[in-house]
Amino acid sequence: MIEIALFAVLVLVILLTLGVPLPYCFGAGLMVMYFAGDVVMKGNMLWGFQQLGNPVLLAIPLFVLAGTIMSVSGIAASLLNFVNIFIGHLKGGLGVVATVSCALIGAISGSGLTGVAAIGPLLIPEMEKQGYPREYATALIANASLLGLLIPPSVTMIVYGWVTDTSILACFLATLGPGLLIMASFSAVNIRMARRFPLKLNEPLKGAAFMSEATQRGFKATPALLMPVIILGGIYGGIMTPTEAAAVAVIYAIPVGFLIYKGLDVRTFFGAGREAATSVGAIMLMILFSMILSQMFVLESIPQAIVQAIFSVTENKALLLVLINILLFLVGMVVNDVTAIILIAPLLLPLMQAIGVSPIQFAAIMGVNTAMGGVTPPYASILYLGARIGQVPVTKVIRPAMTLILLGYLPVVFLTSFWPDLSMWLPRFFGY
Amino acid sequence: MTRFASVLLTVLICLVALGQFVQVITRYVLEIPVMGLEESLLYPTLWLYMLGAVNASRENTHIRANVLEIFLSTERQHQVLAVIGEVISLIVGIWLTTWAWEFTKYSMRVWRESPTLYLPTFYVDVALFVGLVLMMIFTACHLLMHLRALFSPIAEPAIEGGLK
Amino acid sequence: DTLKISHIRPQGATIDNELRALAEELTTATDGSVELNLFPASALGDYTSVQERISVGAIDMAVQPAATAVDRRMQISAFPYVAANWAEAKKIYGPGGAIHSAMKDLYAKQDITMLAAYPVYFGGVALNTDAVNPGDPTAAKGIKVRVPGIKSFQLTADALGYISSPIPFSEAFTAVQTGVVDGVVGSGAEGYYASFRDVTTAYVPVNTHFEVWYMIINSGTLAEMSDEDRAALETAALEFEAKRWETAEADQGAFEQKLADNGATIVSLTNEELAATAAHVRAQVWPQVLQDVGQDWGQGILDQIGE
Ligand code: NA
Ligand code: NA
Repeated sequence: MIEIALFAVLVLVILLTLGVPLPYCFGAGLMVMYFAGDVVMKGNMLWGFQQLGNPVLLAIPLFVLAGTIMSVSGIAASLLNFVNIFIGHLKGGLGVVATVSCALIGAISGSGLTGVAAIGPLLIPEMEKQGYPREYATALIANASLLGLLIPPSVTMIVYGWVTDTSILACFLATLGPGLLIMASFSAVNIRMARRFPLKLNEPLKGAAFMSEATQRGFKATPALLMPVIILGGIYGGIMTPTEAAAVAVIYAIPVGFLIYKGLDVRTFFGAGREAATSVGAIMLMILFSMILSQMFVLESIPQAIVQAIFSVTENKALLLVLINILLFLVGMVVNDVTAIILIAPLLLPLMQAIGVSPIQFAAIMGVNTAMGGVTPPYASILYLGARIGQVPVTKVIRPAMTLILLGYLPVVFLTSFWPDLSMWLPRFFGY
Repeated sequence: MTRFASVLLTVLICLVALGQFVQVITRYVLEIPVMGLEESLLYPTLWLYMLGAVNASRENTHIRANVLEIFLSTERQHQVLAVIGEVISLIVGIWLTTWAWEFTKYSMRVWRESPTLYLPTFYVDVALFVGLVLMMIFTACHLLMHLRALFSPIAEPAIEGGLK
Repeated sequence: DTLKISHIRPQGATIDNELRALAEELTTATDGSVELNLFPASALGDYTSVQERISVGAIDMAVQPAATAVDRRMQISAFPYVAANWAEAKKIYGPGGAIHSAMKDLYAKQDITMLAAYPVYFGGVALNTDAVNPGDPTAAKGIKVRVPGIKSFQLTADALGYISSPIPFSEAFTAVQTGVVDGVVGSGAEGYYASFRDVTTAYVPVNTHFEVWYMIINSGTLAEMSDEDRAALETAALEFEAKRWETAEADQGAFEQKLADNGATIVSLTNEELAATAAHVRAQVWPQVLQDVGQDWGQGILDQIGE
């Protein structure tokens, strides 16, 4: 049966390469299992559709909508202006502003796209004006946008917790450590890179002028800065579940967007609703069929077979972790974050537990690796969106993006695998 | 069409958000949680997912990994690839739709009810079949447009934008 | 044949061990003709969808609670305060008992054969805070508790004086841990030990309901088995149930002890308090749930039990 499962995966990958929409790629995998593997399809739609009804998943559209409202309402601009006043005038400072702003947006949105969508249009022209190459600015913001998936809330961690039956709150905390480290390393790499660019720096504000400007911008940014406080405070403070927090974020963002930041009007509001619902619909349809395929694998005991097959090659923990990181990197090249998690997490979790990696640390390993998939070609959705926003050819962004990944991101990926405390200390601190 | 989709989808997603919001308020502030709210929310939730997916089909914005496309250079090659993709989508999609139909018939036969308010879940379940049928219709439309572009000498640039 | 059998507890739990033992016996008894392939921890989905998939023949077997979505009368299995003690429970839920027979009939209507009942425990309330007037159902406790999305549990929790909060199981542990709610209703010592032990500081064995699972199999699958195999399976299932009735009560005590060892206070109630609670909850809850399942049908079964 494992041969047929592998064949199903092969068909899936071929169709994916051809550009068939992902839900149908999984559907084709199902067809292989059904016609060649003789598994029962009866009752699977029922099961898959009931899985979609799980309230935990409802957090996904709501966090996506909150993020979309954020990016159209001008909330992002106020965050950016606020961060900018402290570090914008330093050499390489504007790149750091981009990174930190993406992290702040990440604390509001659950998706990896919001950062580049909200910050990109504002900051890419600004950075170019200061002397950063346009493709570099685009690459940096696209990469920093990945922080949306690492700083909680995070769509990928919701899905991971859901498919592996792990506490979503613990998963949120697991990627926070690596996420903050990546924020720091991107900032450091950027400052180093900025030495090569002929930057024209703004005069820093001093004394009273600085104070008044800081107060003014801080005041404008407060409603936006309150949002992560409400979301994370609400969840970890025992007021609401993650799904409810996502709903509260939406309900809060609407009046703030309409009345305070004023970027939201009736037209953009309905546009944001449609955009969020459409991207969520696409995700859910894919989740539906990938869940059914994954369930077929479980029914045929494929995960156990994989563990046995791998253990017959090696049982060395370090080697296995390296191999898994390589596998996840390759998977991340061709599919997006959520897909990778649904497909891989249930298959590999038994293996990870067998070698003594906790499900929470594995959440972090999956989290950082699959987020990176958003910028690794050939399928790099976040990088492509960035290129579109920055109006630079994709081929030109890839080089600086890979430099940033290599110097800023990959080291943290390996730390996450080989230094459990990095992902475990926060969950442990909160008692998980 | 786009306007209709915008309003419908926004209303659905806001309904869901509002329902969850009421849940927090009634539990945390008023301390009288509403029974059965969660099961009622299943209706807008699953219709939201399915109609969102239908709209993705309409706009042709389903998640794809266009790996091969990067290596193709001529417009004609792109069109051929698009046709192949849509044909495969149709074949697989129709097969899935038949299973969704089986599920719909089953759901109609057993007539399940939600646990506390005894709302019939058939009206949730039928969203899958309705959604897939609509997606197949839009996929077929895209296929026709790609075929027309392939066999007509002047390429139509409007295709990427989806059906308006 | 290899039969896929699902259950809802993790690997190594009591039910898991017992089913593994059963699987071995069956293999020996049938010379390897019948094998059980276990799927613990709801790996095939929650019990509601597993029951429906058994009904259509996509999964073969399960040992799990009765799901009430397809037929609301199945709620009779989880009615609060039907049995007062283990002896009564065996008479009602055990072979030949009123609820045992009723459930067998209801399952049959869904193309499912009930092979055995599996008594689990009397339910209670697990709290992450000190108990407040635990023996007095009329006293409002001001404690929010998570209840499963099942009407009788919600009504029972309210009747016991708690503020019931419907939260999905997948979010329940976190909700207790962060303080969204301060307790859980709907399970018993074993269930709380399995899923909530680290957030249980007090356990009130107030006998909310009698938790019973059922060993069920798709009727078509059973009919297609050879006569010998079917007989072997049916016999093994009966023995499985008989054995469980002997050990269940001690097992419940053992799990209360495990909760205590884990640092929870076990709040014992007197027989008078339990009786008063039972009378109060019956008066509050039964009329409503009886109406839901059909007054005549439900009352008929309760009358049978009363005799
Ligand atoms: Na985030
Ligand atoms: Na990628």
